[in-house]
Amino acid sequence: MEFKELLSEKIAELLHELSVLPFNTLESHGPVTSAGVLTNYTSWLIIAFVIVSAMFIATANASKKRLAIATESGKVTDLAPAGRLMGMMEMGVQFIRDMASDVIGEKDGPKYVSLLGTFFFLTLVSNMLGLIPGGKSFAGSMGGTTALALASWIIFVVVGFTKNGFIGYFKSLIPSGVREMPLFGRLVLGGYLFLLEFLSTFFIRPLTLAVRLFANMYAGHIVLGIFAAFVSMFWPFVQPALNASIGGIAVGAVSLLFLIIMYAFEVFVAFIQAYVFTILTAVYIQSSVHASEH
Amino acid sequence: MEQAGLIAIGKGIAYGLAAIGPGLGIGIVGGKALESMARQPEMAGKLQTTMFIAIAFTEALALLGFVLTFLMG
Repeated sequence: MEFKELLSEKIAELLHELSVLPFNTLESHGPVTSAGVLTNYTSWLIIAFVIVSAMFIATANASKKRLAIATESGKVTDLAPAGRLMGMMEMGVQFIRDMASDVIGEKDGPKYVSLLGTFFFLTLVSNMLGLIPGGKSFAGSMGGTTALALASWIIFVVVGFTKNGFIGYFKSLIPSGVREMPLFGRLVLGGYLFLLEFLSTFFIRPLTLAVRLFANMYAGHIVLGIFAAFVSMFWPFVQPALNASIGGIAVGAVSLLFLIIMYAFEVFVAFIQAYVFTILTAVYIQSSVHASEH
Repeated sequence: MEQAGLIAIGKGIAYGLAAIGPGLGIGIVGGKALESMARQPEMAGKLQTTMFIAIAFTEALALLGFVLTFLMG
């Protein structure tokens, strides 16, 4: 077949594979049209959920055992984490706890450790599962990231309302220096700043949270798929190769090299996107909690 | 056929224009972070964290253009 037709056929197949498809048939027939259907994305999300829950429940049981041993022996050193699982999870939880304390503050930080830890570990494990061929990360679908961004947004807005009162939160959107200006300055500058901050807090922040995570994951998978399509076109595995000469093999080899390099980069991006989502949620919570100091 | 050609041109222009701003932005923020880390190495951890946040903000705009390219036509 011609190169153009083969390439467009493979790209169409790639985009079809990456879309949200029902899980009940092995050959999926089209997009999901009714709610409550188990899709390929939700089934991988369930697997990620089971993995994260199992890790944390096992760690909780292990630390309960250490607590029992320590109360029996009376030694403080027996409270220290022992074993590989506890040591590993201790690093993870310390990472989240340091992030929460640094960003939100010493007093309110520890209250949000479970929320930030959930966002971080679920997104991280799900993104890593999405890198397995055939695996899907919930962040690769617009629905998944919208749900997570909506949760983050509702939480930081509700925290802002409860800590500062309904009117107080809206008043805190205008900086305190502007609130003390004479009437004309308050109207013009304050009105403009209020509009900007209102749009930012209520529209731009949740939207960009969702789109940033989705675009990073989806674009990464598409790039990986295109390089893999190139390899499959030029190296004869299942179909006869497009150009079975030295040039064809060279193009296949270069595509394979790029595929491996992009795979390493995608692992990095998976971690970074989980981290950025979590730390942005922490920054938004901090600006809600400390809104009275604006 | 004409419409397919126009769509292809549109995709190219869309992503090409979308990549200019974030490219410059990420370069600037990365360079500033590197400079600051060289001036004061003990702040390197905090600077690196802030650099990643700033890169994520600007990169989101470029990737928005990339994804819209695939959703076109």
